[in-house]
Amino acid sequence: MSKRLIIFPRMGNSWISFKTYIKNIGDIPIIPRPLNKRVLELGVKYSPEGICFPFKVLLGQYLDLFERLNLGKERKVYIISLGGYGPCRFGYYNALHEKILKDLGYKNFEIITVEGIDHPFYRGFPKFIKMIGKLFGFHPPWKVIKGFINAGYKLYFIDKLEKLAYKIMPREINRGETLNTLNKALTILDKAPYNNLRKIKEAYEEGVEMLKRITIDKKKEVIKVGLVGEAYMLMDYDNNREIEKKLAYLGVEVDRSLRTSTWASDRIIFVKKHKEHMMKIIKPYLNCFIGGDGQESVMNTILYKEKGYDGVVHVLPFGCLPEIVAKEILAKVSRDIDMPVLSISLDEQTGEAGLITRLEAFVDLLRERKYKQKEVLV
Amino acid sequence: MREKTIGIARGLYYYMYYPMWKKFFLELGTKVIVSPPTNKRIMDLGVAYSVDDICISVKVYHGHVKYLLDRNVDFIFVPRIVSEEKHKENCPKLLSLPDLIRDTFSIEESRILSPELYFNWNRAKTEEELFKIGVLLSNKTRKEIKSIIRKSLAFQKTYEYYLNRGYNTLELYPRLTNLKKLKPKKMKSGILIGIVGFPYDIYDGYLNASILDKLKKMGINYVVSNMLNYKLINRSYKFLNKDLFWHQSNVALKAGLYFLSSKDIDGVITISSFGCGLSAIYTKLLDIFNKERNKKPLIHLVIDEQTGEAGILTRLEAFLDLLKIRKGREIYV
Repeated sequence: MSKRLIIFPRMGNSWISFKTYIKNIGDIPIIPRPLNKRVLELGVKYSPEGICFPFKVLLGQYLDLFERLNLGKERKVYIISLGGYGPCRFGYYNALHEKILKDLGYKNFEIITVEGIDHPFYRGFPKFIKMIGKLFGFHPPWKVIKGFINAGYKLYFIDKLEKLAYKIMPREINRGETLNTLNKALTILDKAPYNNLRKIKEAYEEGVEMLKRITIDKKKEVIKVGLVGEAYMLMDYDNNREIEKKLAYLGVEVDRSLRTSTWASDRIIFVKKHKEHMMKIIKPYLNCFIGGDGQESVMNTILYKEKGYDGVVHVLPFGCLPEIVAKEILAKVSRDIDMPVLSISLDEQTGEAGLITRLEAFVDLLRERKYKQKEVLV
Repeated sequence: MREKTIGIARGLYYYMYYPMWKKFFLELGTKVIVSPPTNKRIMDLGVAYSVDDICISVKVYHGHVKYLLDRNVDFIFVPRIVSEEKHKENCPKLLSLPDLIRDTFSIEESRILSPELYFNWNRAKTEEELFKIGVLLSNKTRKEIKSIIRKSLAFQKTYEYYLNRGYNTLELYPRLTNLKKLKPKKMKSGILIGIVGFPYDIYDGYLNASILDKLKKMGINYVVSNMLNYKLINRSYKFLNKDLFWHQSNVALKAGLYFLSSKDIDGVITISSFGCGLSAIYTKLLDIFNKERNKKPLIHLVIDEQTGEAGILTRLEAFLDLLKIRKGREIYV
C-alpha cells in the first residue's frame, strides 16, 4: 500500500506528537500553518455566520492546505479529526466540514472521524470498525502500539515543558528569554527520532536543563491566575492571542487548567472517574451534563480557589453553547466563593489593544486585593 | 388553605408543552399564572439580567421569569427537558435552564420547580419526577396523582394530533378546553410557504415583528415546521452523513428538507434568533441541499433585540413578490 497523506488539525504544540504517530505508522503527515490572516480569511468566508470560532479556524486550515499544496482534487488526502454525539456543536464539525469542502469542489478527500459508536448499533458498529481500520492503516499491531506510546510520551513531555516554562516566565530577568528557550527545546523534541523512546526522553531532559539555566529573580512576588475555558481556545496560543504570554509578562504565574495530555486522560481514558469527581464539585451550581468544557470551567474555578489562586481568566469563543452557560453561572460562583473571574469571549474581530487593557486592569485589581488582604492581616 | 400559584414563563418550551403543564397544574388544584406576551418591558428586563452573548430567546425568557418573580408567585416552573427523542440531546442552554435561572436570580431551591422531563421515551422517569411535584403541591392520594399525570400526558398527544390537522400553536392555545370540537382546517388555494425554525422564535410575535399575522393578512398560506408529523418526516436522507443530535434542530432540519423537496411548497422561510448556535448548522445544511437539488426560494430571517419591523417587512415582501413571479402571476404596481 502506498503512503497516505494525512492532515491533522493544528492545536498549540501538540502537532509534534501527532506527527510522530503518523510517521510511526508509515504515512506522510502534513502540518497546517499556524493561524494567520490568510487562514482566518478563508475560514470565515466559507463558514456559516453564527458558528463558533474553532470551526472557522479548522476550515481555514484545511482550505489553506488544499489551496497551497494542490490537494483534494487530484491527490487523495485524509483528514483526522475528532467527533462525538454530545450537546456541544463540536461533534458535528466533521460532517459540516465535509459538506462545505465538497460544496467548494474538493471531492478527493476523506475525513477520518475518531468517535464512539453511533446509534443504532447495527449501523454504527460497522462504521466504527471502518474508522479504526483507517486510523491504524494496514500495519502490524505492535507498530501501532509503539506509535501510540512514542506519541503519547511526546505529548506528555510537551505539556511538562510548557508548564515549566510558564512558571519561569514571570520571574525571568531578560524579557523573552524563556520563550526563545522553550521554542528551542520544542524543536529539539521535534527533531528527536520518532521511533526511539530513549532518544525522545534524552531530548526532553536536555530541554528541561536549558529551561532551568535561565536566570530568574527569586524574590519577585507574583500573583497566581488560573486559566479556564474552551479546550481549543486554551490550548492553541494563536487562538487565544497568546494570553498566557501576555499575563506572564504582566508578572502573573499562569496555570492552564486543560492540557492536551490531561484532556485525553479525562475524556478518553478515565471518563467515569472524571465525571463523578466533577459532578460532586459543581452540583450546587450546575446539575446536568452540558457537553463541551462548560462543566470543567466551573469545576476548575472552584478548584483554583481551593488551591489558593488569586483570580481566574475564562476564555471562550463567541457563541460557544456550553461556555456561555458557564459564563452566566461563573458570575454566581464568583460571588459565592469570592474569586474574581474575567470572561473574555474571542472571535475573529477581537482587537489586540482591547484585550491587553482588560488583562492589565484585571491584574491590577488582583494585585490590589492581595495587597489589601496582607495589610489587614498585619 | 390558600390556592398555590405556579408561574409559567411565556418563552422557550411554553410553545411546545404548555397544554400538558396547564392540564397537570389545574387538575392538581393550583392556580397557573402565565406571563403576558413579550413586550418592551419584558425584553429590557431580560437583556438586563442575562449574559451578553446568549441567544435572544433565552434573554427574553429571563425577562418573563423576572416578571413572574415580581408578581410574587409561589413557585416558578422551569422544567429541565433532558431529551425529547431517544439518543438525542438538547441545546446546552436549555438543558441548564433551571440552573441559569436559579443562579441569576438567586431563587431558593424550594421555590423553583424543575423536574427532569423526557418526552417520547423514558416515560417512567417523567412520571416519577411529576409525581414528586404532585405530592408537593396537593394532598391528593397516590392513585389520583398518577391518573392526573397520565391524563396530562395524553392531553399533550391530543394537542399534537390537532397540530397535524393544520392549526398552528397560537390558534390552538386559546381553544385548549374544547379541542375535540375542531374540524380539520381547509387550505385556500394560492401560495403556500413553509416556515422553519424553533417554535419559540416563530410564535413570539414581538421578536419576529409578527410575521405570522402579516402572512395571514396578505392571504398567504403557511405551514410551520412544528405542525408536521415528526414521525413521518424523520426519514434518513442520503444527503446527511450524520443526523443532528439536538431534537428541536433535527425537527427544523428535517422539516426544511421536506419542504424543499416537496412539490406543494413554493418557498421556505427560516426564522432563527441571533446567537443561536444550532440554527447556524441547519441553515447551512439547507443552503447546500437547496443548491444541489431543486433551487427553491429560501430566505433566512435572523431576529435579535434590535430588529426593526420595517427591515423584516421589506424582506418578506420582496420574497413574496419573487414567489408570485415564479408562480406565473403578474404584479401590478
